[in-house]
This record gives sequence, C-alpha cells and structure tokens, in this order.
Amino acid sequence: MKTQKNETLINELLDQTETILKKAIAEWQLLPHSRFALKPSPESWSANECLQHLNSYGRYYLPAIEKSIAQAKNDNPTDEFASGWLGNYFTKLMLPTKEGKLSKKMKSPKDHTPKTIIESHIVITEFIDQQEKLLQLLTIAKKMDLNKSKVGISIAPFIKLKLGDVFMFLIAHIVRHTQQAESALGKTGEVIEVQTLSQ
Amino acid sequence: MKLTESLQHLKKFTYSIHPLSDEEWSNFASIWHEDEAKRKTILTAKGETEKNLYFITEGVQRAYYLTADDKEATIVFTYPFSFSGVADSFLTQTPSKYFFETLTQSIFLKTSYSQVAALLDRYPNFERFIRLATAYALKGALERQVELQTFSAEQKFTTLLTRSPQVLRLIPHKYLASYLGIDAATFSKLLSTVRV
Repeated sequence: MKTQKNETLINELLDQTETILKKAIAEWQLLPHSRFALKPSPESWSANECLQHLNSYGRYYLPAIEKSIAQAKNDNPTDEFASGWLGNYFTKLMLPTKEGKLSKKMKSPKDHTPKTIIESHIVITEFIDQQEKLLQLLTIAKKMDLNKSKVGISIAPFIKLKLGDVFMFLIAHIVRHTQQAESALGKTGEVIEVQTLSQ
Repeated sequence: MKLTESLQHLKKFTYSIHPLSDEEWSNFASIWHEDEAKRKTILTAKGETEKNLYFITEGVQRAYYLTADDKEATIVFTYPFSFSGVADSFLTQTPSKYFFETLTQSIFLKTSYSQVAALLDRYPNFERFIRLATAYALKGALERQVELQTFSAEQKFTTLLTRSPQVLRLIPHKYLASYLGIDAATFSKLLSTVRV
C-alpha cells in the first residue's frame, strides 16, 4: 500500500476541514431553516439531513479518536503513513470520482438515517463544533504515529483501523455529504426561483 | 503581510491614541516579531500568566471564561488592527481567569511583557501611551457592561450588527450569541427577522 508523509497527509486533511468549516460559517449558518431543510425531491435528503447524518457519525468517531490519542504514547512519531487495506477501501468508497461526481449510490446504515426534523441552526451549530474539534485532533495527531494508534469502526467496534485511515475515511465521508448538501441547496434554490417567477 | 507593513499599522494605531517621539517609536517597533496561528489554537490557557502582547493584523480571536459546569462565556472578540491577549493578566502579571484562542486563521505581531516593561521604565511618554490605551479599553468594557444589563436581545443584536456586520459570516453564531448573552434559539430567530 502506498505510503505518504505524515505531515503532508495531515496538512491536506486540515485544509479540507478548513474549507468545509468556512462554507458552513460564511454561508450555511445564514440560511433560513425553510431553505436549509427543504428536500430537492421526496426521496433525497435536504442539506439539513446530510448534516444530521454527518453529526451522528461525528458523535461516535470524535470521542473514539480523542480516546485513542489520549492512550497513545507519543515518544516515537514516524513520518510515514501507510494505509491498511480496509481503511483504504472505505476511503475510496467515499470519495467522489475524478469528474467530481459522487460514486455509486449507497444506502446509509439505519442508525445514521435522520428520522426527525431538527431546527437547522441546531444541526449547523453541532456540525461546526465537530469540525472545530476535528481540526484540533488533527493538529495533535501531527506529532503522532498514525500507523500505531487504532480506532474501532462504528458498525463493528472490534474491527480497528489505523488512526490515519480513520481520519482519511471520516473526512472523505464529510466531503461526500457536504457536496450532497451543496447540491441539495442548489436544487432547492432553483425550485424557489421558479416558484417566485410563476407568482 | 510583511513585517514593515504590519508595523505601519501598529504605528498608525499607536499614534491615534498618543504620539511617540521618533526614538520611542523605533525602540517600540524593534520589540515585535511576526507570528501566526491556525483556527482554534489556544494561545493562553486559564491559570497561565499572559506573557505576550499581540497586535492583530489578520483573523478573529476571543477570550472566554469556562464555568464550573463546562459552559463557555465569550468575553471579548479581537480583530485587526488592535492589541490582543488577556489584558488584565498581562498588565498585572497574575494568572489568567480566561482562555484566549483564535477563531479563524490569524496573523499577528507579538512581543513579551518584559520588553514592554523595559520601555515603560525608560520612557514616561510611552507609559502615558499605555495608560491611555488601557483607559480606552476600560471605557469600552464599561460601555459593554451597560449594554449587557440594559439592552433587549434585539437591541444587542442590532448594535453588534451595525458596529461589525462582517462578524455574521466570520464567526460561528454560537460564539456571537454567547458574547451577547442570548440563547442560540433567540439568536436564530433574530437572524431571520431583524433587518439591519
């Protein structure tokens, strides 16, 4: 499996998280609930639901990563990270294609499917909190061995991935669903315009 | 921003409070170096004594108090171009009751208490500048106290947005709500109803 510099990887993940945070702070938190929670179609998720879905994963993974970091012995940071095969598989599954499209549709696990409408400002606040936390954890992890520390995965906590793989997989998942949220907002934006015109 | 450019901003800021002589300015200018920090970096933690004075050239920072049950109360925001750091801890050299952190990626000039203190001892006119800067900070703090105690949630919201409209797109709203002392639901309602 391909190896990469620890610092390069973490910096890339920090940049991706920073970009998403900026979007949430400069744009999403200013949108009215009526817009943010509007479904583009009955079967597809609203931006609100995309973020609820991400928040439910963050509630598992962020404390799990924090625990793994707290238990790690930091004396021997290595500067090379090599993905494990399973971690690599999960990350690939999440990432959009080269053309920027989402790869094949996936059914999200039931536990992480939004069931109720929650006010958008609550959902966005939790999302921003989680991304801020993620930035802080990534910064600490810069000085760690990303191969050695392990985190159990949410569907089967006894299956453990390398810390570096968990960061990559988690952030790829966030990128995937924030893109989905953006496209939901784009589509619902069009609907609103058309309605305004026909009035 | 280059160091010389940042120092020009510092000079303008300084002279608007109280002008220094050329000698005083060149000594003051020589104690600073440029530094930066990523988003959400704690620069001073509770219990530490503030050793640094900052002059902000990019980004937003805040000082907050952490309650016994782990709730955060945002006390103050700082932006360019102004001094920053935990002012009371810096001036009194006693442990800070607050955390001081960046809320966005930040660039600043930084100097130490001992270097500022040496200039205070050496130049009465420099001491006058620091005294006036402190007096204006006190004036601001008392005005804010009045707003916190007498303004309605809507007045607080409108005042903040008239004074600094850019903060809505720059700062997560929970920090703004905390700074104004209003709850998140009220803040969200004001955001959708109040037009500034």
